[in-house]
Amino acid sequence: MSKLTDIQQDGLPNSPSGALSKIQWRGWVLPLALLVLWWLVTAQGWVNTRLIVPPANVLKVAVTTLSDPLFYQGVLFSVGRDLSGFFFGSLAGVLLGTLLGVSRLADRLIGPTFHTVRQISLFAWLPLLSSWLGYGELSKLVFISLSTLYPVALGTFEGVRSVTKAHAEVARVFRFSRMQMLSRLILPAATPQIATGLTLGLVYAWVATIGSEFLLANWGNGLGNIVIKGRAAFNIELIIFGMLAIGGVGVFFNRIAVRIESRALRWRGPRV
Amino acid sequence: MSVVSTDPLIFRQSTVEVPWPAVRWLWPVAGHLSRVGAALLLPAALLALWQLAVAQRWLPEQIFPAPALVWQSLVELWQSGELQSHLQISATRVGWGLLAGTASGLLLGFGMGLSRTVHAYVFPSFDVASQFPVLGWIPILIIFAGIDEALKIAAISIAVVVPVAVNAQKGIANIPRAWFEVARVYGFTRLQIVRRVVLPAAAPSLFNGVRQAVMQAWLTLVFVELLASSEGIGYLMVWGRQLAQLDLVVVGMLVIGVVGVALDVALRSLESRLQRWRISAF
Amino acid sequence: MAHAATLEIANLSMQYQVEGKKLPVLDNITLSIKPGEFVSIVGSSGCGKSTLLRLIIGLENEYQGDIFLDGNRIVGTSLERGIVFQEHRLFPWLTVEQNVGLGLLNASGSEAGKRTSVQEHIELVGLKGFENAYPYQLSGGMSQRVAIARALVNRPEVLLLDEPFGALDALTRSHLQQELQRIWEQEGITMILVTHDVEEAAYLGDRIVVMQPRPGRIKRIVDVPLARPRDRASADFTAIEEAVLGEFSDKSQVELLSVTAQQSRVSDW
Repeated sequence: MSKLTDIQQDGLPNSPSGALSKIQWRGWVLPLALLVLWWLVTAQGWVNTRLIVPPANVLKVAVTTLSDPLFYQGVLFSVGRDLSGFFFGSLAGVLLGTLLGVSRLADRLIGPTFHTVRQISLFAWLPLLSSWLGYGELSKLVFISLSTLYPVALGTFEGVRSVTKAHAEVARVFRFSRMQMLSRLILPAATPQIATGLTLGLVYAWVATIGSEFLLANWGNGLGNIVIKGRAAFNIELIIFGMLAIGGVGVFFNRIAVRIESRALRWRGPRV
Repeated sequence: MSVVSTDPLIFRQSTVEVPWPAVRWLWPVAGHLSRVGAALLLPAALLALWQLAVAQRWLPEQIFPAPALVWQSLVELWQSGELQSHLQISATRVGWGLLAGTASGLLLGFGMGLSRTVHAYVFPSFDVASQFPVLGWIPILIIFAGIDEALKIAAISIAVVVPVAVNAQKGIANIPRAWFEVARVYGFTRLQIVRRVVLPAAAPSLFNGVRQAVMQAWLTLVFVELLASSEGIGYLMVWGRQLAQLDLVVVGMLVIGVVGVALDVALRSLESRLQRWRISAF
Repeated sequence: MAHAATLEIANLSMQYQVEGKKLPVLDNITLSIKPGEFVSIVGSSGCGKSTLLRLIIGLENEYQGDIFLDGNRIVGTSLERGIVFQEHRLFPWLTVEQNVGLGLLNASGSEAGKRTSVQEHIELVGLKGFENAYPYQLSGGMSQRVAIARALVNRPEVLLLDEPFGALDALTRSHLQQELQRIWEQEGITMILVTHDVEEAAYLGDRIVVMQPRPGRIKRIVDVPLARPRDRASADFTAIEEAVLGEFSDKSQVELLSVTAQQSRVSDW
C-alpha cells in the first residue's frame, strides 16, 4: 500500500499556491476508493483470490522483493540498458535531425526513406534483430537506440527548421562561421523541440527496454524478467508488483525529463 | 553585376535563371521529377547493397534472405490469400481497439476538460496511470483475459485511450476563455457550446491524439502478436523467424510499413480537409 | 570614438525575379554620405528604402552599380557595417549581456576588452542593471535598445537603422529618438535611418532623402541645417517637415492647383 501511495504522491499535479487542501484531497478519492474496493472484494471472497489477489499479499511480496538485493540489481540492469540505448539513440537522433534540417540535399536524399522506415512499427524490428544479433544485450541495446532515434530525430529536425530568417540574418551580419551558426544559433534555437523529442525518446526508450526484455527473454537480469518469472510461477503478486515497479520507473523518468526540460528552457519565460 | 557572396552555404539563396520562356512551364514538372528521383536514390542504393551482400554471402543465407526471395514470398502469400487474411485479422483487432479506446478516451478527455469536478477527481490518477507503459499492463491482462482476441483488443484499447484522452483534455484546456464568453453572451446551450465552440477549437489536438493513438495501437498490436498469437501479421513474423524463413519476417515488416504509411497519409488528408473547412469558417 | 566612413552609392539599380519577369525595385540611386553624417531616408511603402539598406549591409548581393565604403567595394556582410532592424531580433536564449556580446563574437581583441566594451555599450543605451535579464523580461523599447547596443558594440563605421522604432508606441518612440541622437553625438559614426515618419526623419537627420516608389528613385534631398537638439514645434522645423511632406502630395493635384491659379490671374486681369 505504501508503494501505491508513493506513486500517487509523485503523480499529483501542482495545484496553484494557496489552493484549499480540499482540492488536492479530491485527487485521492478515486485511487483510495479503488483500493478499498479491491480489499473488500478479496476479503469477502467475492472473486477467485488466486486471480485477484488480496492487496495485502501484494504488499508482502513487495516487501520481500524490495529487500532482496537481486531486485535492485535487476532494476539497475534495466535502467542501465535503458539509459545506454537512450544515449546512443539521442546522439544519433540529434545528428540525423540536424543534418536533415540544415542540408536541403540531405533532406531530399535521406528524408523520404527515413520517414517511410519510421512507419514500420518498432517491435516489428525485433524478429529480424534477434535473428541477426541474438537474444542478448546487443540486440536490446540496438532496439532501444532505434526507439529513441525516431522521436529525437524528428524533434531536432523540426527545431532546426524553425530557425527564423530574421535571426539568421543577424548571424550573417555578425559574420558567423558555419560552426558558429550551428552551435550558437541553430541548436540553441532548436532546443525547445529537441527537448520535446528527448522527453518522448525517454518514454519510448523505457517501453522498448521492457518490451525487449519480454520478447527477447533470455532469463537475464531486468525488471521485465521479474515479471516473466512471476508469470512462469503463476505468482500473481509478483506480476502485479513487477507491473507497479515498471510503471513507477516510467513515471519517475517522465518527471525527471519534464523537470530538466523546464530548467533548460528557462529563457522562454513562464508558459501558460 | 553580381557579387560573390561569402556567406555560409546553408543560407545562400539559389536563384535559377530560366533559359527560355517556352520551357518555363516545364520547370515545376522537372522540379517534381528531380525530387522523386532524389528520394528514390537511397532506397535504390540500399537495395543494390542488399543484393550484393546476398550474392557475396556476407551473412549466412538463413538470416539474410535475398531481395528476390522476399519478393517471391510476398507474391506467394498474396496470391494464396494468406497475407490478406493475416492482415485482416490484425486490422480488425486494431480497428476494434481504436474504436473502444477512442470512445473511452474522448469520454475521459472531454469529461476532464469540461468539468472541473471530474478533473479534480480523475485527473491525478489518470495522469499517473497514463505514464505507465502499456506493456506493463499486458502480463496482468494475460492472466485475466487469456491470450485470445479479448487480450489484444483490451491492450490496444488501453494504448489508445491515453493519447486520445490526453490530447482531448489539452485541446479543451487551450481554448481561449474569450470564446466561451462570446458563447455565453449569445446564450448558447450546453450542446451548442460543445458543437460550435469546443469541437472545432479542440479539433487539431484531437487529430494529434488520433494520430498518436494509431501509432500506439500498431505498436501494441505488433507487440502482443509477437508475444502470444496464432494469427496476424505479428504471428507471421514469429513463425517466419522460428522456421528461419526470414523472408517472411521481412514481408511482415514491409506490410506493416505500408499500412503505417497508408494510415498516416489517410489521416493527414482527412485532417487537412476538415481543417480547411474549419479555417475558412473562422 | 569610432572611425566614421564615407559611403558612396553610384548608379545603384536592383530588380527582383518574379516568375521569370523582372520587377524593378531600385532605379539609378546615387548618394554620397559624408563621415559622421546622419542621413534620414523617407518614403512610402514599396519605394525600396529597406531594400537599399539590405544592399548596403550586404544581405542582398545581386545588383547593378557600385557601393563603396571608404573607397572599397563592399562584399557581403561585414563587421564594419552594423544594422538595427525594425524587430529587435534578439536571441531569446541569451541574456542582454550575451546578446550584446554577439556583436563581438568575431571581432579581434582580448576577452577582458570585449567584456568592458559590452558593459560600456549597455550603459550607453541606458540599460545598466539589466545585464542578466532575458529578452522575454524586457519591454519593446528596452529590447530595441539592446539591439542598438549590439549593433554598436563592435564599433562599425556606419550604422544602418531600418524603421527601428516602427513597432513601438509613440511615447517610447519619442524617447528613443532622443536617445539615438545622444548616442550619435557621443559615438560620432555615420548613421543612415530609414523611416516613414517624417517628423522622426527631420528630428534626427542632417539631410533627408525623399524616395519615390515603383521603381525606387531619389526624388529630392532636403537639407536640415538646424542645430541640435531640435525643437519639433519651431517654425523652421515645421517648414522642413512641410517641404518633405509636399513631395508626397498628389502630383496631379499640384498641377491642377497651379492651372487654377493661372486661370484666376488671367480672369482677374
